[in-house]
Amino acid sequence: MEGKEETEQKMLEILDEEEEEAEEEEELSSFNLSSEVHDLEDRLSQIQVHIPEFVYEFDWSSIDTSNLPESYRTNSPKEQLLLQVADNFWRQYAHLCPDREPLFLHPVNECNVEKFVSTTVRPTLLPYSELYDWDSCAHFVSDYLTMEPLPSPIAPPSYLYSPTTILRYQRGNCFDFSNLLCSLLIGAGYDAYCVNGYATREICMMDETREACPLSQRAEEVEAVKEKPKKYAVKPLRDLRSKFELQQEAKEVAKEQAAEEKKRKEEEEKTAEAEKPKPDPLYGLRVHAWVLVLSGKREVPESFYIDPFTGKNYDTKDDHFLGIESVWNHRNYWVNMQDCWNACKDLEFDLGDPVRWEFMLLGTDKPLLSLPEIEEEEEGEDEIEDLMKEEESKAFDMPASWVEPIRITPKEFEMRCPQGKKEILYRNAKLEKWAPYLNNNGLISRLTLYEDPDCKRLLEVKEWFKNREDMMERRELNKQTEVTTEYFAPGHVQGLKVHAYKTMEPETERTMEFYSETRVDGLQKRVETPTDMAEYFEGRSDFLWYRHAEFGKRAKKPPNNTQVNTESNARPILKITERFRRNPKKPADEDVAERIFLILKERILLTYHYKMNYITASKREFNKRSDVDTTGNKIIMTQDMCLSYQAGLTEKDEKLFHLYEMMLRLMEEEKLSRHQVWESEMEVLDILRIREEEVAANKLTVAIYDTERNEKSREQRELMERLMQEERQRQVEQDLDYLAPFLIQMGGVEKMTKWLALRLKEDCLNDFKHRLVDKANLIQARFEKETQELQKKQQWYQQNQLNMTLEDEDAYLSFCSEAMFRIRILENRLNRHKERAPQKYVALEEKLCKDPRLAEYIKFYA
Amino acid sequence: MTSRLYDSIEPNVIDGEMLQKAVEEQGPKEEAGQLAKREGINFKDVKELQLDFRNILKIDNLWQFVNLTKLQLDNNIIEKIEALESLVHLVWLDLSFNNIEVIEGLSTLVNLKDLSLFNNRISKIENLDALQQLQIFSIGNNNIGTLENLVYLRKFKELRTLNLAGNPVCDNEAYTMYIAAYLPDLVYLDFRMVEDSTKEIAFVKYQYAIEEMKQGEAVALAKQEAEKAKQKELDYHKAAYVEYLNGSFLFDSMYVEDPEASKLEYLPGVPELLETYKSKFVTICENLFEYGLKQHEKRKAEVALFYECLNEALEDNREQGNQIMADFEEKRLLALDAIQTASETEVLEARLQEYNDGITKLSETLMTMEMQLVDQLEEVIKDFERNISDLVSIFIENEQGLMAQCRDLENHHHEKLLEIAINTLEKIVKSELEEEIPDDVRMLFVDKDTIVNAVNASHDIHLLKIDNREDEIITKANSWASALIEKVHKSEITRNRNRVKEINQFIDHLHNELETMDIMEA
Repeated sequence: MEGKEETEQKMLEILDEEEEEAEEEEELSSFNLSSEVHDLEDRLSQIQVHIPEFVYEFDWSSIDTSNLPESYRTNSPKEQLLLQVADNFWRQYAHLCPDREPLFLHPVNECNVEKFVSTTVRPTLLPYSELYDWDSCAHFVSDYLTMEPLPSPIAPPSYLYSPTTILRYQRGNCFDFSNLLCSLLIGAGYDAYCVNGYATREICMMDETREACPLSQRAEEVEAVKEKPKKYAVKPLRDLRSKFELQQEAKEVAKEQAAEEKKRKEEEEKTAEAEKPKPDPLYGLRVHAWVLVLSGKREVPESFYIDPFTGKNYDTKDDHFLGIESVWNHRNYWVNMQDCWNACKDLEFDLGDPVRWEFMLLGTDKPLLSLPEIEEEEEGEDEIEDLMKEEESKAFDMPASWVEPIRITPKEFEMRCPQGKKEILYRNAKLEKWAPYLNNNGLISRLTLYEDPDCKRLLEVKEWFKNREDMMERRELNKQTEVTTEYFAPGHVQGLKVHAYKTMEPETERTMEFYSETRVDGLQKRVETPTDMAEYFEGRSDFLWYRHAEFGKRAKKPPNNTQVNTESNARPILKITERFRRNPKKPADEDVAERIFLILKERILLTYHYKMNYITASKREFNKRSDVDTTGNKIIMTQDMCLSYQAGLTEKDEKLFHLYEMMLRLMEEEKLSRHQVWESEMEVLDILRIREEEVAANKLTVAIYDTERNEKSREQRELMERLMQEERQRQVEQDLDYLAPFLIQMGGVEKMTKWLALRLKEDCLNDFKHRLVDKANLIQARFEKETQELQKKQQWYQQNQLNMTLEDEDAYLSFCSEAMFRIRILENRLNRHKERAPQKYVALEEKLCKDPRLAEYIKFYA
Repeated sequence: MTSRLYDSIEPNVIDGEMLQKAVEEQGPKEEAGQLAKREGINFKDVKELQLDFRNILKIDNLWQFVNLTKLQLDNNIIEKIEALESLVHLVWLDLSFNNIEVIEGLSTLVNLKDLSLFNNRISKIENLDALQQLQIFSIGNNNIGTLENLVYLRKFKELRTLNLAGNPVCDNEAYTMYIAAYLPDLVYLDFRMVEDSTKEIAFVKYQYAIEEMKQGEAVALAKQEAEKAKQKELDYHKAAYVEYLNGSFLFDSMYVEDPEASKLEYLPGVPELLETYKSKFVTICENLFEYGLKQHEKRKAEVALFYECLNEALEDNREQGNQIMADFEEKRLLALDAIQTASETEVLEARLQEYNDGITKLSETLMTMEMQLVDQLEEVIKDFERNISDLVSIFIENEQGLMAQCRDLENHHHEKLLEIAINTLEKIVKSELEEEIPDDVRMLFVDKDTIVNAVNASHDIHLLKIDNREDEIITKANSWASALIEKVHKSEITRNRNRVKEINQFIDHLHNELETMDIMEA
């Protein structure tokens, strides 16, 4: 690790130097900067750091098997019988099919005991709802375990460890993976089987670098269905262009397209060629184990495979799977008797068909051969069925699994991956996963997309977060556009939903989206560039859906360049455009569709909504000019201050009075809009500030049910524990030995005599009496002191009563009442002490008499 | 009750002068006022009017104030509520402190929310059924004497505030409880809030009476609704031209106006004959009814489809037009800017020319588009017309076929009847008739002519009825078709005219704009 840091430091230094160089160069000649940067990038990319791979070789032989239960280390009689049956089966099979590979029947377990594979499957349903469905279950297994290659890629291993051991060490080969996944799936009610077969290299080695990352795929858009023309639809206009010319043009276009297509295809082929894996010399021989889920149970419509390494499902006819040797579940074992010359494409999964699948144990709840005739002859079948039942009861059934129940603690479940971390490589992409709370910024996964297969040039980084206090769920950084996009869950201040930006500087390019339903102003989106700002609204009662403001440059920096943002300090607004949706309550030519305030030119442009079947919209244009006419009177309103066009209305002259009122109203609204634009700017600043604080704080939330992490509840619990401990300590103190000091004086219990005991008792009582009296004296002394002080004060008051300020008098009075209070308390205490002291004395005497160390000596005396 | 007498001043009638003055006084103030004064205020634009303390005796001349929402006529000597019919937008009407005796003349003011009749001489609350939005009702200091009259106020579902103080009825001990029980939605009574506890006590007290009343109200409502549903069904049948054909209505009507039929019924064998005849006839009627409804649905679907397509085409056209306009708008702004910034006359001229060309081109484009649309629509409408007339003629044909069956039945029946009649006549002549027949029936059998005439007359009446019904259906169907087609044509023509007008107006506007700008330049 240290080495890595050093190299990083070096890199940084290099970077700095390079930058300096670049700056110098810039000073010398201001030629193309981007090429410089490019050059820098190139040079930097040549510098590569190779961290020496520290591979931790796990040694299975070193694992501790001593604590494993008895069933792991021995075989029960039934299991032994089963092994014999299996051997018998194997011999017959080997005789019948001499040219087939040996079967994977009874490998040794971690205690070197032979166990039949079916008994290693331990159906378990874990108490996590996430593990109830096959896909999340498969992903859990693939995340939880670390993959180990098989010792020999072309033969099944000679061992198969129990799922509990595998879970404990969190690693295993494909057989271990399949076994565990199969156990969980059967437990969840699926008709699942472990499969021993052959697969491609990519599957066997868990090499996903040729696969596209599932997270980066985008959903394809569905094309809209075209409606067929209706009976009365108008006929299209006649095309008056020359047919021949059109044909020629079409030909040209087709030619060009064909050429392009060809080029593209060639390129595609090229890249495909480059990406094609090298031919595998062991193709078709590589042994792999995976899981087969048959249709029927748990509403699975069609059978499919699950690759336990990746957790991905495949069709049973998928090209990656090249053949099946045998399948098994916790009940039985079947050998595939079908030819796999065409990979798995022609395989039938009717396990009840004895021609295609050779079962090992007869009639142990095997999936029935789906023969329709059986159902038809139900009545006549009764006898035969009875017969079959008898036969079944005679047949040997699979012994129960020798494996302990599978257990995963919630903490382990949450950590998920070994050490809570996992990294997967896909084509042009890298996916990293972490357990929640492992990173203190809440990062749980990161997907890095690259331009090239070697993962050198960054394209995009996507990060997913969980449990962040600022509700951020996802952050995407696009390296090409340098835009960072942050996505938030509902609940962020101001209802922020998405925030895309280049820098956090205000008044730069950014887009913010909001949860409009939670905002009072219904703001849905705000797009900013350095010179303008557009806002989109939704569901407002005033039907506003768009507001756009153009800003000019600040005339001057205000002299007192403080950070106080007042409206006067804001950038001047040149133009505000507001658009409204149709208000169904108003007639169309009174319902404003667009309103433009040209603030510099002092003009207001109104465009109304279209009337039914009209292609022109009514318009109005106001020129606000408060001029003075020739006679010096103020012109209030003239016809030419308002140009209007009203669609479909011939009578033109509207009363000036109305226009005047309208203009006044508009001017009010202009002020309002300007204010709102300013407020929006303020809000942006506010959000930016909050975001910066949040990013700096990196706080995570903890559910109140999470006892592990919730600080508050933990504090409370600790407090309770502490209190309990204190209580215990007090009890111990209460039992303090009151004889101890006296015993020490006398030199221990051993030398105890009757006389000594009496003296001891006497001493102890005397001492106690003394203390009681002392205490009484002490109270009395204090009492007297208080009364004296009070008297003194009273005297002083009587002397100076005449020339006294009100405040002094108040102070005196309050002093008196306090003193009286103290005196009362002391009096009470003294009285109580007097009352209690004799009782306490008697109690002590009694206790001393009963003390086991003195009792036997004093007993006679008393 | 006190009534003010303004002996010193002449009683007044609302006249133009008074209105003008009031409007000017109460109109806009300051700068806006100056403007308004210069231009004059249109009575149509006035929203609120105050005419109090003017010694008005008769309300008049208010019909111009069609948009009035608030009218104050308090403290006058009005005796009759009148001449308020045209003020349909009124929300607030104050008629307090007048001499009104009867509530009337308010049936058109459906928007009224606040009505004050305080201090008048009204003795009964009535004639307010149209005021369903009434929220505040003030009728204190009047002559209302009976509690039962107040139940009338249950009609107003929105009523929240009621002022009754100063009426004789308030002296009744049960007054408050009664109101609280019968008007449970009321919030304020006589300027005081009605406590929930009071409402509860009142409810318990009058529980049975109220429940009974509610029951009555519910029954009435249900009845009304049933009636409505029935009417609706009938309207539907009428729209299909087959009303009353789903039963024996037509058959019965044939016999209602036939005096001979009842007499002929006494002939032996006729009742049985009539019975079979009726059942057959009714079956045909019902067939006709079913067919009519089916055809009606078909026609409706056809019309709906046509309008859907028409609207789609118009919408497309409008969007296209909007697009053109938007493009032009962009160009216009640029061009105007260019014209305004042009310094040299030659450049200005050139740019003006360019802009003018643009306008001309726009006008041409829009007009061409409109022409194309007219052509397209014409074709579609023609199709539609043909289909509708086909539908109608098919309907009429089939309907005529069914009616012909009816007629056949009638003919058949007639023959049978005639036969029986002649047989009976013969029997009577031979005095072989066993059954007793009344004298007036016997009168028919005086001779052969009489009886044949009677039977024929009956037959003619029946045929006439059937013919009438048939004609009715045919005329109605035909007139519907022609009205529909006419409507479609008409609306297309108006649409076309409107569009052309709009385009021309817009072009004119553009030219005007340019001219005014030039003036400004100069």
